[in-house]
Amino acid sequence: MSFRIGTTLLIDSNGNGIQSYGFNKKRILGDLQKVLKFLDAYEVDEIHAIVPFKGKGDSGSSKIFSHLSEISISTPLSIGGGITERNIGKITKDPFFERCIFNSAIFDNPELLQKTKSIMGHQSMVASIPFIIDDNLKIYYSKTNIFQAIKDELWKDLESNFNEVLLLDANAEGGKNGFNFQVFKHIKFPIDRILISGGLTKGDINKAKKMGLAGVSIDNFSLHSEYSIEALR
Amino acid sequence: MVNIIDVGLGNVRSIEHWLDRSNLFYKRVSEVTSITEDVIIIPGVASAGEYMYRLKKTGLDKEIIERSSWGQKIIGICLGFQILTDYSEEDGGTKCLGILKGSTKYIDEHKTHNGWDAFHLDARKLSENLHVKKKRKKIVSGRVYFNHELRVELECTSHVSQLDNGITSFAIQDNIFGFQFHPEKSQKTGQELLELII
Repeated sequence: MSFRIGTTLLIDSNGNGIQSYGFNKKRILGDLQKVLKFLDAYEVDEIHAIVPFKGKGDSGSSKIFSHLSEISISTPLSIGGGITERNIGKITKDPFFERCIFNSAIFDNPELLQKTKSIMGHQSMVASIPFIIDDNLKIYYSKTNIFQAIKDELWKDLESNFNEVLLLDANAEGGKNGFNFQVFKHIKFPIDRILISGGLTKGDINKAKKMGLAGVSIDNFSLHSEYSIEALR
Repeated sequence: MVNIIDVGLGNVRSIEHWLDRSNLFYKRVSEVTSITEDVIIIPGVASAGEYMYRLKKTGLDKEIIERSSWGQKIIGICLGFQILTDYSEEDGGTKCLGILKGSTKYIDEHKTHNGWDAFHLDARKLSENLHVKKKRKKIVSGRVYFNHELRVELECTSHVSQLDNGITSFAIQDNIFGFQFHPEKSQKTGQELLELII
């Protein structure tokens, strides 16, 4: 199985593709359909389309997922951000995507995870884990909008509920200063089921490949053609 | 008019997009009376137990089996391929359509198979199969996208391709085409394959 080079695409509540820097500043990349078509044409290995969901407010995800379903692309698609018990039935009735990405449900909604797994299969389950390292590892919980310390049991839950995890270096997001590989000192999850994202340099991508990770998810650099996907393979 | 089986499960929309890109006409089929004589596609992305339950409830299971025996072209994708076999281990064990002799089992140690693998189909080796289109381009070669946790084990078919890890990538037996990967999400290779088989 080949190492995958995918792209993370964030989507705002107006349905625009956006770029995020350091998990904080946002910049609009453009109309979602156009952005997806570009990524499709670049033949990235997969697209992680995420509606950033901070706090308890309504992210408008259902409307955005509905819009996404109308866009014809031939690249594997994972969706996340605002998948809830209210919309999971509708979303999975006619899936236009292959995989679901979860964050808050990791911490507080095992029922939703089980329901999704029973419909879509274990292979479709991806955990989104934005992290910072502040003496210890802290993981983002979108419902509280806080990076928090975690207990060891979480890794067991992750392994049983998820096929893969997507580790996002929140401080490095949107830049080219390098992914913080120190995170692997804290990770207790099979390495061949880990994807990394945030600040990736070409050297980082080679390192990830040598480490035997499942793949990487690059942000705006693939969209701006600064990184040639073909050359990175 | 391609028939896409729609029992309220499966990635029908993605299949529609795939056919659209090659300007093919299609319709969703939810009941026996709607099926036409053209190709039948059984999509993927669902579980075998629930999918077979819905096929039986609508009578589409018997209709597909009968039409396959007449020689109507059937294309199964991912789960759609798996339920063409006799039996699947999924959902505690599920009796399937039995169009292809064999069974569907969990990948060893319940591992999953996600990502891209090589694909090669030389249509010249299928020159006697009237269901493969006679196109100028005889070879489709590239990479295709897999996303599954069960594998098909076939007893015999006329043309089977296996990956290095033993997973059956695809099988072609006269009018029956089964693909474990997702051609609809396999970019250029998936599109070229579509134009060879429909």
